Amino acid sequence: MPASRGGDRGRRVVVSGMGAVCASGVGARRLWEAARDGVSQIRPLKTERPYDGRIKIAAQVPDFDPAAYIEPAVLPFCDPFTQFAVVAADEAMAQAGLSRADVAGPRTAVIMGTGIGGMTTIEDGIYKYYVERTRPDTLSVPKLIPSAMPTTISARFSALGPTFAVGSACSSASQSVGIGLQMIRAGMVDRAIVGGAEACVINATIRAWEGLRVMTPNLCRPFSKGRNGMSLGEGGAVFVLETAEAARARGHAPLCELAGYATTSDAKDPVRPDLDGASSCIALALEDAGLAPRDVHYVNAHGTATHANDITESEAILRVFGDYGRDVPVSSTKPIHGHALGASGGLELAITIEALRAQTVPPTINFLEFDSSCPIDAVPNAARAHKIDAAMSNSFAFGGINAVLVVRHA
Amino acid sequence: MTDQPQDLSKLKEDIIEVIASEGMVDRSKVTPDATIESLDLKSVDIVMILTALEEKFNVYIPMDGSLQEAKTVESLIDAIAQHIQKERETQ
Repeated sequence: MPASRGGDRGRRVVVSGMGAVCASGVGARRLWEAARDGVSQIRPLKTERPYDGRIKIAAQVPDFDPAAYIEPAVLPFCDPFTQFAVVAADEAMAQAGLSRADVAGPRTAVIMGTGIGGMTTIEDGIYKYYVERTRPDTLSVPKLIPSAMPTTISARFSALGPTFAVGSACSSASQSVGIGLQMIRAGMVDRAIVGGAEACVINATIRAWEGLRVMTPNLCRPFSKGRNGMSLGEGGAVFVLETAEAARARGHAPLCELAGYATTSDAKDPVRPDLDGASSCIALALEDAGLAPRDVHYVNAHGTATHANDITESEAILRVFGDYGRDVPVSSTKPIHGHALGASGGLELAITIEALRAQTVPPTINFLEFDSSCPIDAVPNAARAHKIDAAMSNSFAFGGINAVLVVRHA
Repeated sequence: MTDQPQDLSKLKEDIIEVIASEGMVDRSKVTPDATIESLDLKSVDIVMILTALEEKFNVYIPMDGSLQEAKTVESLIDAIAQHIQKERETQ
């Protein structure tokens, strides 16, 4: 076990609870079980209006009835992305053993990431106006703004501290978690509700994604020979962060310590991953956690299964980890839960935390054959029992924003 | 159904036309041995080219290894033509 970090970075922060909603349904446990057992949740695409695009698969939340979870007074203000976040937040708070009274007040922050925000509300409103010649839903504006998600959670728990949305594409959730960590370390707040949500598996949006050519028409197979892209997903993941002392004082056993975070910007091509940006982010996250590469025993990769990402990410890992980069288990769980964009970093952090707790590395499924341009151990097709003292979760976004989180045993 | 050689050469001609117009490159520069780099095509240009091809030929062309690893115009055209032919066979 690596030595405990000194006090130079401020207070130690733990994850006291987490929740998730995604293609595996409601509950972080279900997400972990699907990832561990390698059961893909990518299914035939379902849209309310006929879809004429070429991609016919997505990782959508199945049979989700928001009214079963959200009060009638609140629900009309909730776009699906907020619905996912609220349900995940309730689960995270319950697991953290915190009541509304415990977190009420100015010492609780709510920082939530989303790539786009209320895309369903935006698209439905535009359809109503231009096609049906009617008017958008009266509550469109408060529903579609990205901050609708953190403010709904803030109101739900009377959290009066810093509350805002982070919009950093696929790094949104990871950055939100990292900002929460930094705020608690710095003493700005005592606890933070963080994470991300996304719900944009909807006609025009999928069509726009198709245009970028990063979607697979058949199977998402990260790091494998023959990979040809990702599948879109949706969902939300929420984490309750607090100081290690606060958790100890109330007799709560946390899930893990949130040990490190870093974020960098490529400042180059908006759609091409960058080796310098990715590797510097990984190195800085390790430094922030006070860990050497060999202290990290599992990497949950960004692993989109695009040709370029997987090569660049493998190179970045090798650049920072050296020869050990060929041995450390690196898996991508995107073929399980899809690429949920602004929620992805959250879903993947939830899996990373469960992997640490279960001492089990989830597999990269749909793996056909080793690709020499990705010279890492991608844990093909089957989970693996493995001693994990610390684990890392990578997110690399369009636009060039990178975010990396490191967790270890509390 | 397999394409006749003249179909294939016509297809490649059409692809060159699209590369020139969408990539905003002089048609005379789009020769088989030209490197993609020499045409100064950025990743966004490739996306624009593929989108135009998708509309022209009614196919979906995912960005797989064959496309990404293409260094010359010839290998890029071959990869695209292969995708289009494969898609035509399944339609």
